Amino acid sequence: MQTRRMANVYRQYWRINILTTLEYRENFLIWFLFTFIYHGTAIASLWIILAQFPSMNGWSFRDMAFLYALWMVAHALHNTFFSTVAEIPDHIRDGEFDRLLVRPLDTLFQAIATPGQVFPDELILALLTFVAATIYSGVHVDWTFVVFIPLIVAGGALIDLGLNLIISTAAFWFVKVDALRWIFVQLEQEFTHYPLSIYSRAVQVLLTFVFPFAFMNYFPAAYFLHKPEDAHALALPAAAGLLSPLIGVVFVAVAYAFWRFGLNRYQGVGH
Amino acid sequence: MTGTVPRRPRFRIQPYIEFAKKAMAREGTYRFDVFTTVGSFVVRLYLLRMVWTALYAHNAAPVDLSRHEIITYSAVALLMGIVMDIDQTRALHDKLHDGSIATDFMKPIIVPLYFFADGTGEVLFHAALLIPSILIALLIFNIIVPPPMVLAAFFVSFLLGYLVGFFLNFILNCTAFWTLEISAVQLIVTWLTDLLGGELIPLILFPAFLQQFIYALPFAAMFSTPLLIYVRQIPPARYLEVMGLQVAWIVVLGIVSTVMWRAGARRVVVQGG
Amino acid sequence: MPIIEAIDLRKVFRRIVRQPGIGGAIGALFSREYEDKVAVDDVSFSLAEGELVGYLGPNGAGKSTTIKMLTGILVPTSGVLRVAGLVPYQRRQENAQNIGVVFGQRSQLYWDLPLRESFELLRSIYDVPLNRYQENMRHFAEILDLERFLDTPVRQLSLGERMRGDFAAAMLHDPKIVYLDEPTIGLDVVAKEAIRVFIAQINRERGTTVILTTHDLADVERLTPRIVLIDHGKVIYDGALERLRTEYGTHRVLVVTTVDPVPDDFAVPGAEVESREPYVVRLGFDRRTLTAEALIRRVLERYAISDVSIIEPDIDTIVRRIYLEGYQQNAVGAPS
Repeated sequence: MQTRRMANVYRQYWRINILTTLEYRENFLIWFLFTFIYHGTAIASLWIILAQFPSMNGWSFRDMAFLYALWMVAHALHNTFFSTVAEIPDHIRDGEFDRLLVRPLDTLFQAIATPGQVFPDELILALLTFVAATIYSGVHVDWTFVVFIPLIVAGGALIDLGLNLIISTAAFWFVKVDALRWIFVQLEQEFTHYPLSIYSRAVQVLLTFVFPFAFMNYFPAAYFLHKPEDAHALALPAAAGLLSPLIGVVFVAVAYAFWRFGLNRYQGVGH
Repeated sequence: MTGTVPRRPRFRIQPYIEFAKKAMAREGTYRFDVFTTVGSFVVRLYLLRMVWTALYAHNAAPVDLSRHEIITYSAVALLMGIVMDIDQTRALHDKLHDGSIATDFMKPIIVPLYFFADGTGEVLFHAALLIPSILIALLIFNIIVPPPMVLAAFFVSFLLGYLVGFFLNFILNCTAFWTLEISAVQLIVTWLTDLLGGELIPLILFPAFLQQFIYALPFAAMFSTPLLIYVRQIPPARYLEVMGLQVAWIVVLGIVSTVMWRAGARRVVVQGG
Repeated sequence: MPIIEAIDLRKVFRRIVRQPGIGGAIGALFSREYEDKVAVDDVSFSLAEGELVGYLGPNGAGKSTTIKMLTGILVPTSGVLRVAGLVPYQRRQENAQNIGVVFGQRSQLYWDLPLRESFELLRSIYDVPLNRYQENMRHFAEILDLERFLDTPVRQLSLGERMRGDFAAAMLHDPKIVYLDEPTIGLDVVAKEAIRVFIAQINRERGTTVILTTHDLADVERLTPRIVLIDHGKVIYDGALERLRTEYGTHRVLVVTTVDPVPDDFAVPGAEVESREPYVVRLGFDRRTLTAEALIRRVLERYAISDVSIIEPDIDTIVRRIYLEGYQQNAVGAPS
């Protein structure tokens, strides 16, 4: 019963998203332009640097293009379906969150299904970029690739979601979490552009075993681009990248447990 | 009193200093800004250091810039960013959004100067955040400090670059007179500035065919010029030339700002705010 | 069986005591001192199905805390709470299905889209059967005159229109109980009346239990025969509105307009001078010890007057006085 209801609401949610986006067409176009420039400048930066310094710890620009594109798809997937989680602190702050508690649905689901100007434009752009990068990098597209890439990308989106949820949960304690979000977003979005091996060991461990951003794109890319030594450096098997889906599920489960803990506290202590 | 021509009131600096102070106090209440700014600075500088280190380890240096010099470049670029990557004339956009701009026109102040004072106050607060960041850059990252004459030239160029940035920001916020949703446009300009201004990557590393074009843009006048002076890629002989270009941009953008402001103010008065 | 039952409901908030200054901030790192604030102090009441109750109290009295516990937002520290046979905080989603909430200060409608879209989405959330939804929409469109702006984006609606939309939204799924938090705030007189008519109607026609929290005592006078007064976390009055007026509304004011300027030693036995102006004086008296007629006669005996009028205590004054002085059952004698 609940699942049917949630499916209905989710369908409505997307319908309203599309309607709202069409309502604010010009706004949408401008934001799409920004998305394009955001990713464009990132890739352009990589190209410019690697044109002058052809190899970064054994990774060429072709390799880096694939690395970036893999991250881009996971990230765009998350933004399309879960960006609303980042608005939870605002809901808590302005009292809107109580409204969610007064409705007959799971609060996290409602937060995710909060209608707004959401459109899968970044995702489409990311998929196109990924196809181009796959061809350009010359990575070997076999059955493992075809089967695992969607799973890896989904796992990457879950890792992003996990981070998003953890920070939003912190809003139950600290009303303003923008500073926290900013630092972690930088950590994820900028550090994943480059091969993990360029960082100090401590940072590598942090990005692998604590906040598993390296599993979003680095380890999978290392596997498909045949760079096993990068995984070995951290005592991981060469195929560590194939574990990304599992890592994503585990990380988001941890985040969800933290969310439930925060929610219980919110209902016990108030605000 | 017929026949009396109203005289313009004598210009007083005092209210504008008060505006600047108010802006500083306002920024000060955002305590998390301190944590964000310094934390973000450290994280980004660390990243850039590791990137350049890895690049220099396996490749020949393509330009006459050592690894240490390029890390210094990055550090100074980030420090400049702390003071310059803020929406100085945000007050203009905010006031247009909530309509309070109308009352400002009724006050006996020169409105654009108010925004300049307000913005300067915000900047000065951020400048205070520079101090821990500079200490970290010097002590932990060991950045190079050039000889006094070069440093002085850097500061002059930096101030000129700041003014270029100020007018650019003012122009952007002026578009709010016509369309209120400007955050996307602002972000676009910010991102383009990051890349084309040489904030992240020194412009001398750009492919040759692009360099002519990029150096002519105002973004380069904001960041690249002072930065290249600092790392001594621009020799003293060329100081006048490059600073002259900065001044040229100040003049051009200043004129565009004035035109836009007048047009926008007229629109507000006509439409009633 | 009452539809809402609260027995010794208690909510205690534990706050960290912060000492001021730097010393306090450093001290807080080593040892934490807590203070308990009792927001709701063993509150008990019960509501029968179909009742219309006004829930009143000054700010900080514990009103919103009680409502939050009733609606399942907050977990009580102790006590028994049952709403429509459920414990709200234990079965939050089921409880949510039974209730409707209107927050006067915040709308639950979606800003950017036509009103109709908000209703459609709420239909999905509350899983309202199609025929019931259409019937309700038809009914509400009629009484609340929604047809005119059903296709207007919510952000373009006036406050009155938006509030009517919020009411329809709250009732869409036929809740057994509605909580109305300051529903008429900011509305003009005509809109307030329309809302009051609507509330009375749904209570009468559908037997919906209504709990109304408000600072506008005209709402209370028009709608709720029963009021519950809460202050400092405790229920200080629970009963008929009329009884409050007769029991506590014993204070009257006689406004006297004099012919000659009011002398400094103006005095009348049995009454107290509450205020004076050059030609007007206000006399407060307890109607149980002195009738208005008797007082007027006493004034006439002493002074020449050109006009008199009597000010009856309104609910506002009564309630305010109760907040200030505390409620005493069967209060005797004129309040000071």
